[in-house]
Amino acid sequence: MQVFTSVIVLFLCFTAFVLYHIKDYRARKANSMISLAQVLGTNSISAIQFQDNEAGKNILADLRTVTPEVLNAAILDANNKVFATYSRAEVYNIDFTKNFVKGQQTKFVDKNLLVYKPINNNDEMVGTICLRVELSELNTIIKTQYTIAFILLIIGVALAFVLALIMQRYISTRLLSLVKFMNHVGATDNYKTHFVNDGGNDEISVLSTVFNKLLDQITESQQRKDEFIGIASHELKTPLTSIKAYLQVLEKREHDERNKVYVQKSLENAKKLENLVYDLLDVSKIQSGQLVLNMAEIDIDVLIDETITAFQIISKQHEIIRNDTLSGIIVTADKQRIEQVLVNLLSNAIKYSPDTNRVIVSTSKTDKDVTIRVQDFGIGIANEEQDKVFNRFYRIKEKSGHISGFGLGLYICNDIINRHHGTIRIESEPGNTIFSVSLPLTTKKVNETEAAVYE
Amino acid sequence: MPKIKPALNLRMLKRVLLLLLIIVSRAIPVTAQDQKPEADLKAAFIYNFTKYIEWTNPPPENFVIGVIGTSPIYQSLMEIALLKKVNEKFIVIKRFENPEDISYCNILFVAKNSGYSPAAILDRVQRGTLTISEETGFAAQGMAFNFIISNQKLKFEVNPKAINSAGLKASSQLLKLATIIN
Repeated sequence: MQVFTSVIVLFLCFTAFVLYHIKDYRARKANSMISLAQVLGTNSISAIQFQDNEAGKNILADLRTVTPEVLNAAILDANNKVFATYSRAEVYNIDFTKNFVKGQQTKFVDKNLLVYKPINNNDEMVGTICLRVELSELNTIIKTQYTIAFILLIIGVALAFVLALIMQRYISTRLLSLVKFMNHVGATDNYKTHFVNDGGNDEISVLSTVFNKLLDQITESQQRKDEFIGIASHELKTPLTSIKAYLQVLEKREHDERNKVYVQKSLENAKKLENLVYDLLDVSKIQSGQLVLNMAEIDIDVLIDETITAFQIISKQHEIIRNDTLSGIIVTADKQRIEQVLVNLLSNAIKYSPDTNRVIVSTSKTDKDVTIRVQDFGIGIANEEQDKVFNRFYRIKEKSGHISGFGLGLYICNDIINRHHGTIRIESEPGNTIFSVSLPLTTKKVNETEAAVYE
Repeated sequence: MPKIKPALNLRMLKRVLLLLLIIVSRAIPVTAQDQKPEADLKAAFIYNFTKYIEWTNPPPENFVIGVIGTSPIYQSLMEIALLKKVNEKFIVIKRFENPEDISYCNILFVAKNSGYSPAAILDRVQRGTLTISEETGFAAQGMAFNFIISNQKLKFEVNPKAINSAGLKASSQLLKLATIIN
């Protein structure tokens, strides 16, 4: 766009420049030829007066050497009759009386200049000097001018292009760094940073300042949300614990079968509610860095089996299959939290495969770590969503409409596993989803415990 | 505006007179009818000479052109005298029958067949008079200008010495058109 504008401006300038030059050249030529005619006229007054055609011819003949650009010349007498003529070599004679227009001194005809200069002697019109001048230089001038204009145009355009490129590079580099930073912030959810302004004083700097302000606002609103979650979950937990305790007492004391079923249903839902509140509490703890792991050496195989057994009781439709065993694998971990992770994964596996009836748990081991896989044959997770499932409050689009939950489970799992220096991964396609959790084997017991606590 | 009117009238008067003259001249049978254009041309040349001569002693009243001998040029000169002026002076044409008659004049034209030798005429001519003749060899004999016919065209010879001795100066513009006689 900049380049295009430059081209148009330059083109207009050069056109005006060339046209002006042509006009100027013509005017100058006309003037100089009128002067020449004046001189010739003065010189030929006596020749006309004494009707000496030879003398007139001789005067005109000087043109051959003086101004070769004169093609034809003629002296007309007072009655506009031809008195003497001249023609350059190899040029046809022309009849000046034909084109003669009284009063007009110059005329441009077919790239030739016609000059009619009256010869005056003491206010008496003695005759007329006629010249036909070749404007051969005009073509040369036009050609040169156009060439120069063209070259300058090219140079101008090239300069404009280079400048535009430099400007663009300068601008786009800064813009791209801002965009990169924005993407980074978006990807990592880390809103507490600021874009370092390059100290410029232009629109891009304003943009980065505004973006930084926006980041501040996001951080503030996130903090408020976190505070709210923390306060809300605490406030919900206390009465809920009380409700649950009373329901448990009621369940034991109730002997009427129908009432007992009601109480059990209430208790069941109170437990669900409690789980949700605990999830919220966990999130709140994660956010505020208060999630503390109680590290101990645990036999992972035992843990898996126990979890499956406990979970199988709740799950009526799905059969949870453990298709291998590991023996004597000891990891240093928070038993309760790892169990929470496994329960979460199993519960997800069941939730998102309502039309199947099995979930497979498998394990594998390398020198460094042990991996637990939970595989289901449900709806699966689309590729573009796989990275996001570990985000807070993220729920799989469309398909999860009828499935309950806050979208906190995997976020908590991810955090717990990360604190154990392990990894949690997902592989998924429709009909086959595998969540794998890898935990490092006990080697640097002390360090890990400390790291986990301090984090 | 009213100042211009008399001038216009004068010019118109001159034109009317000229017209009358032409009608009269046409009416009277002229013996040398075919000599008329040549005479007109010579008269015109004589008039034109005045423009290229530096008159060292300007005429006090009128510019006098004397004609010695009988020639149609006299009439042609009369026609010019009606229309033109020399250095803002009216032109007066005088006729001299013989050299003894010659009085003050700025130009003396010696007509062909006047029968007088240049010497006889020059003897009577005052300093400051430009002499013009139309006889072969007269320029060499001391006449300032002499008309000749060359290639059926009217040309003239110039004797620069004669011009100098008359105390006059001829413009180079004129001299370049002339045949110089020493």
